[in-house]
Amino acid sequence: MSRARASNGAARPAPRNRLRGLPLLRFASRFAAVALLGCLGALFAFLLFKGGPVLDRELLFGNTPSLDAILGLRPVWDGIWPALAGTLCLVLLTLCLALFPGIGCGVYLAEYAGPRAKALAGAAVDVLAGVPSIVMGLFGFTVILFLRRSFLPEANTCLFLASACLALLVLPVLIVSTREALEAVPRDLRLCAAALGLSRAARLRHVLLPVAARGIWSGVILALGRSAEDTAVIMLTGVVANAGLPAGLGAKFEALPFAIYYITAQYQSQEELARAFGASLVLLLLAGGLMLLASRLASGYRRRWAGGKA
Amino acid sequence: MNASVEITELDVSFFGRPALRRVSVSFPARGISLILGRSGSGKSTLLRGINRLNEEFEGCASTGRVRVDLGRGLCDIYPESCRGAAGDKPEPAAAGRAQGSGEERGVQALSLAELRRRIGMLFQTPNLFPMSVYRNLALPLTLTGLCTQKEAPDRIRTALEYVGLWKELRGRLDLPAQGLSGGQQQRLCLARLLALEPALLLLDEPTASLDVHASRHIEELLRDIARERAVIMVSHSLSQALRMGGSVWICEQGSIKPACPEKGGAQGFAAEKNLSEELLAKLLE
Repeated sequence: MSRARASNGAARPAPRNRLRGLPLLRFASRFAAVALLGCLGALFAFLLFKGGPVLDRELLFGNTPSLDAILGLRPVWDGIWPALAGTLCLVLLTLCLALFPGIGCGVYLAEYAGPRAKALAGAAVDVLAGVPSIVMGLFGFTVILFLRRSFLPEANTCLFLASACLALLVLPVLIVSTREALEAVPRDLRLCAAALGLSRAARLRHVLLPVAARGIWSGVILALGRSAEDTAVIMLTGVVANAGLPAGLGAKFEALPFAIYYITAQYQSQEELARAFGASLVLLLLAGGLMLLASRLASGYRRRWAGGKA
Repeated sequence: MNASVEITELDVSFFGRPALRRVSVSFPARGISLILGRSGSGKSTLLRGINRLNEEFEGCASTGRVRVDLGRGLCDIYPESCRGAAGDKPEPAAAGRAQGSGEERGVQALSLAELRRRIGMLFQTPNLFPMSVYRNLALPLTLTGLCTQKEAPDRIRTALEYVGLWKELRGRLDLPAQGLSGGQQQRLCLARLLALEPALLLLDEPTASLDVHASRHIEELLRDIARERAVIMVSHSLSQALRMGGSVWICEQGSIKPACPEKGGAQGFAAEKNLSEELLAKLLE
């Protein structure tokens, strides 16, 4: 009896320490979450306050009729519509270029690579992830210089080059998220699929990728946001202040991040600065809209895969 | 004795650490064969050696010979390279190669996926895919090419009726399978296996995560299934072994031996030794 009491007494301090530690941890976590939401709310409120009043048809199209501007029948001189269209093209082209190699590389590293290849490719991806965007832009610019001096004298910075450099920039995000999402699939599920007689390809296509889809889509959404906001890369690879709507893959283009930078760098009046805030708000809405669309597509895909009788 | 599985000098190791050492055992063609033993004794590794599932684990190396009867006599399931010197890693996608008599020829064209389909395996915890009840059953059926989408409903219904789930789930086939109770989930896993028409069933402690009532239900089903095909079951519980009957093997430190070669079965073993179940369990530990 006394021994039991003694052992109980000895065991007491540990739970007390845990109890003492937990509220602090709980408070710190809650504070971090609230601070994050607060920062996000403050950012939105600030942009709404500054850019909301100028968010109208004129900000987008200036004096050009809306339909003519959208169809590219008449140039838009003092609106951000060409920059909006340019950003949209840039983001979509970047995703087209990065999605397949990014997800493919992630799948290879998670499912097929041996330990040596994993270590080598993992290190390469880490290095690529650490490359600053301005360096990536400089790389694209150097590629054009090289092409001009060698076998393609006509080569120039353009939408395709900017998208390719952005694709390189977002590639590590896609690779890492795909790899981690696949590696997080429970081993039991993998074993079960194998034990049921599914081939390796069928397991990957019909079980592992759908189960990992949420993680992979998170990577896609991050890549999307990154390619929409990056300015340093496009500054050296084809963006200009006045190019009109994107005329093709080999043409110069406008983009919202550069438009915001350009306006704020040389504004003459408060009205011009307000337009920059308006453009920021539009960029935020564009990125948010694309992310919403991506997550809708992801959840729709998952619902189709998981549910129903078909 | 007709054998469903014949294992000769099977060695399995993971990253050079042996899990099974020169195991030789033969399981009968009908009825339940129970493998008892404590955790880490190599029971599950032995079971996974029969459908080559150990190859899904990194660093696994298997040598030895495993022959399985999938309806056309005993066939080698490991490639020839695995039957020689220890340490050769089997090629994951290699087909089993026939050797010896004419009745062993059937395995030549058998792929690893096909082999695993025909040797069904049920795990300790119900491993359902995070999808609907129907899709859980239909996906392996269609992906293994066993039937088309059109034929799937009939097979699914038959399998669900067999495990007694059809009445319970008839109107809920499109609901998430993971919302079912533990017992229902395990029966669904069993139905999924049976729909694939396996020649042999491997069960890795299939009732370990279930309550008593659900366990009894599964055990009844297994006894019924064992009338038509061989069932090899790993268990921790001696009381379960006594209930299930059949032949019993004890797995210990990577080797296996029959519980009672003379009388066979755990009941014979207990009766012969005049031991209570609790004492026997202690001895086994």
